[in-house]
This record gives sequence, structure tokens and C-alpha cells, in this order.
Amino acid sequence: MTPKEREKLIRRIWIVITYVVLITFALVYLMPFIRSLVASFMTWAQASRYPPEWIPHPFTLENYEKLFRLELFPRWIRNTALYAGLIVAGNILFASMAGYAFARLKFPGRDAIFSALLSLLMIPMFVTLVPNYIIIYKLGLIDNIFGLSLLGLTNVSSIFLMRQYFMSLSNEIFEAARLDGCGPIKAFFYIALPLARPALGAVAVYQFLGSWNAFIGPLIFLRSPENFTLPVGLSFAFQRSMWTEYTPIIAGSLVASAPTIILFLVLNKYLIRGIVITGGKG
Amino acid sequence: MARVLLKNVTKKFGNVIAVNNLNLEIKDGEFMVLLGPSGCGKSTTLRMIAGLETPTEGEIWIGDQLVNDIDPTKRNVAMVFQSYALYPHMTVFGNIEFPLRMAGVPKQERIKKVKEVAEFLGIADLLNRKPSELSGGQQQRVALARALVREPQVFLLDEPLSNLDAKIRTQMRFELKKLLSYELGITTVYVTHDQVEAMTMADRIAVMNKGILQQVGTPDEIFYKPKNTFVATFVGSPPMNLIEGSIVEKEGKILFETEYFSLQLPNDVPKAEEAILGFRPQHVEVSLAPKEGYVKGNLLGVEKLGVENYGHIGYGHLEIVVRLPEEIRVTRGEIYWKPQENRIYIFDPKTRRAIYG
Repeated sequence: MTPKEREKLIRRIWIVITYVVLITFALVYLMPFIRSLVASFMTWAQASRYPPEWIPHPFTLENYEKLFRLELFPRWIRNTALYAGLIVAGNILFASMAGYAFARLKFPGRDAIFSALLSLLMIPMFVTLVPNYIIIYKLGLIDNIFGLSLLGLTNVSSIFLMRQYFMSLSNEIFEAARLDGCGPIKAFFYIALPLARPALGAVAVYQFLGSWNAFIGPLIFLRSPENFTLPVGLSFAFQRSMWTEYTPIIAGSLVASAPTIILFLVLNKYLIRGIVITGGKG
Repeated sequence: MARVLLKNVTKKFGNVIAVNNLNLEIKDGEFMVLLGPSGCGKSTTLRMIAGLETPTEGEIWIGDQLVNDIDPTKRNVAMVFQSYALYPHMTVFGNIEFPLRMAGVPKQERIKKVKEVAEFLGIADLLNRKPSELSGGQQQRVALARALVREPQVFLLDEPLSNLDAKIRTQMRFELKKLLSYELGITTVYVTHDQVEAMTMADRIAVMNKGILQQVGTPDEIFYKPKNTFVATFVGSPPMNLIEGSIVEKEGKILFETEYFSLQLPNDVPKAEEAILGFRPQHVEVSLAPKEGYVKGNLLGVEKLGVENYGHIGYGHLEIVVRLPEEIRVTRGEIYWKPQENRIYIFDPKTRRAIYG
């Protein structure tokens, strides 16, 4: 074997090893999804059997039929869309303004306020759940999608992402705008916002994914079934007093995740850019 | 159009004094170049005139108005940045139109003015493009157009040519001067570290170093009458030769003496125990044969710049640069030289100021 052939062989072996490792991990991550997909076509009796079976026998569409027979299913989708829409709109509006202020304006206490805001990231959501509940209760907005949305209209990580993006823009462009007669507010609308489209896209995608899949918040703040979002509604519909019918829930989560999967396929470059923005300049 | 007056202007960033007690008047319609090495305070001065920085002390006047507390949006000064700072999301038309839009000029008039200025600068066919689709020279013109379109009182340029390649730079140098001085007559402040740009474009040059104004004058004054060793060596290429020694009188002659050679100076040069002799490489007579009054030296090497060749002559630690006449073709060996009598300078080694020349 010549040294060149040897080198080629070693490279090939490495590629094989790399692929084996990658495929193994991909399978591990894909497993729950594949399992759900398969189970959604099984009867509950077969799906709950141990050791698990992988081929639906008998093959059934009953789970999907149950799902679409639910009167409230379209309503839950509408509620979820409304909730996600409000959250995305709120985050784009408020996070871009707050991020711009933290990145571009000079005001007393700016950095202290920003650090305080960042430290909020360390507080687990469950700690603020009760105080938040009390606030929303006092406002009379329990069991109301708008009340629930109020809590998520802005978000520290969105502000952080927008701030990092605005800081990465060239200072000279803003100085030029100032000399062209553009005060800070005009500069926000004419210069900063149009230039921030990639970051806004990233915020929108993250917030959409988060709110579309949200469970704990809607579970606690919403009461009547007609106000439920999809994740809460599904678990409500198929939970019996002693046991839960999991297979229709599985079918429902697959249907529910369709928009997020499509969104991810279409917009994944924004997601990745969002990671690059926050990870880049700090 | 207006004059700009800087009165005792100081700018501090923390403990760093960027500009120290600057007094400078830029006359109405004048092309003033602020020249100096990086960190000399020239850009800070420009940014203070623009209003992007506030002076720590002192007053800045534009026309008859004290502008210290006037926001840059209301100063009516235009600036061209080193990076051009074009708005990447707008077309060329949008970029040029922007200051007019912000000033609330009606749409029809905006379109007319943008077309006029684009025509004037030869970029009328680029109006629908985005800045990223333009070459450096074209971006430069768009930046100029954007600054010119609203007819500013004062025009500020921060190293506008440094991002262009050498050929376009030389061409733009003259075009800018022609445009701003001869055709429009706008009061212009131009910042550069390039002394060739300063010499070719300026009505007057203000040389700065370490935040302190060294000298203000016409290019000729700066070149032929430098006030101190900094100006003498910063302007001119290769820089002026500076040699330390003493000036003594012997047998009725005034001589400049160093440990390596002595050189006869004109009779009106004042005597001094310590002095610095300065002369430019271009103002030296050179000979291959010994001549009366010439100093012998050892040629270390020659830098060829095409038309001009510069010889380096060594004396221990000291190195002198002289321009070689075209007929001298040697690159090493003995050589004889003498500075032209009417082109020598004497500086005080303590104050570094010119005392003769």
C-alpha cells in the first residue's frame, strides 16, 4: 500500500466513523418523533404494550378521527394562533424598542438596568407564576387569552438578542443619520428597524415556537375548555379520571406540531442567525 | 455658507486629552485640511464641529451662532465618513433623498434636487441601485451627493479617500478640490493623515499632534516655513533631515559642527551651543567628486522611486537622506553633498521650535 492510498483509507475510515456517530445521535433524537408517528396509527392497547411494538397492527385512523370529532379542536387551533400571534407581535414591538434603547441611546443607569434585566433570566418561571397569577387575577383577566398574552408580550432574551444586533450595526450609519437631521426616534424607524429584519425574524420564530407549544402558562391561566390552547386542550380532552388516552393526544401533538415544523424548515436560517447574533459580539 | 471658529476648545475622554486648547478659524469658503498622525485629535475636532462630540471646554461658532448646545440634527453641517456610512437598505436615490426627507422638503422638489446633484456628480444612472452594488468610487460619490444635496453651511470630510485604491484616490483628490472649492465654494474641513492630500487640496493646513495645534498656514508656509521639528518632518517625503550639533564661529565663518563633519552655514545664522540643523532631501547638492564646502559621506544604498532616487548616507548612528540627480547612477561608495544655503533650518533642541529658516 502506498502512503497515498493509506492516507485515503484512513480518511475514509474517519468519514465512516463520523457518519456512524452522527446517525446514532440523530436516531436518538428522532426516536420520540418516530415513535409518536407510529403510535398515532395504533390502538391504545397495542401502543401501551411492553416490549414496544413498531408496526401498527391493526393499522387504525381512529385516533385522528377522534381528534377531528372534537368540537373544540378548531377553536383551540384558533386560540393558539391568536396567542402565538399576540406574543410574536408584542415581542417584535417591545423587544426592538427596548433593544434599541439599550444599544443606541445614552441614559442614566442604562447598563445597571440592563444587567438587572439579564439577571431575570436566572429566575425560573415557576417562581414568578404565583405573583403573575395574582396580578392577572386582580386585573380580572384569568381565563382570557389576552390576559395570558400580557405576560409574554416581551421577553428578556428577545431584548438581549435585539440589543446585540443593534450594537453590531455600524455606529457611523447612525451618526450619518443624525447629521442628516434624524433624531433618535426617527433613526429607529428609518434606519434601525429596516436594518434589523434578520434579528426580528429570529425573535419572531423563537417566540412563535415557544408560544405555540406552551403548556404550563395556558394550563394555569385558562379555565374554560373553549378558551384552551391546543396543547392544554388535547390533554384535557383525553384525560379520563383514572387513565389517559394517549394515542389521540399523540395524534393531536403531531397535527399541532405541523406548523412549527413547516416554520422551521422555511425559516431555519433566521433561527441560526439568531444564535449567531447572540453568540457573536458580546 | 459660513465660517467656523474654534475658541479655546478642549476635549477630554476620561484622563486622555484628545484636543488641547485649540484655536482655529476656518474662513468662509475656505478649504481647511486638518493634518496629523492617528490619535492627534483631528477627527475629534471634526466630530466636535459636527456635534457628534461635545467639547469639554471652549466655544464652537458656525457663522454667527454659538453651536455648543445645538444638536447635530439642527446644525446644517454635512459630513462624509471614512466608511461612507451609506444606508444599506435604501437605494442610491433613497440615500441622497434622505436628508431632504428628514427636513420635510416636498416630494416634487426632493426628486428634482436629487436628480440635479446626481447629474452633477455623474451618478444619475445609479439611482436605482443599492449601495452594495456599487464600487468604492461610486459609493464615495453617493456619500458626497447625500452631503451636498441639502446645501450645508459647512462640509466635513473624515479621511474620505483612504478606502479607495491608489489610482482612483489621485483622481478623486483633484475632483473633490475642484468641486468643493472652485465650483461650489463651500466652507470645508477635511481630515487626513496623508500629507500629499493635504498639500494638494488645502487652502490652508492645520497640522496637529497629540491634541495640540502645531501650525496653521498655506501649503507653502507649512512646507517652506515649518514652525517646529514635528511639522518639518511630518510634511514632506522623505522627511526632513534633522542633525544635532553646535553652531560656532571660526575664522569669520559660521560652522555647523558634529562629531562626524562640519559644514559652513550662511553668516546670518545665530551661534548656539546646541542646535538642530534641518534640510530637506530635495534641497541638497550632490557630487561624486570632492568640491569646496561639500561634506564627504559614505553612500549606504539608494531608494529608487522612478523619476527620483534617494541616497542614504551613513555617519555612525546618523543617517542622512539626499535626492540624487538623475546623472548619478552609483549605489554605493563615496559621495559629497551640501545643503542649499537658502533652504536650511535651525531648530532649538529644547523647544523644538525653528529659530532660523
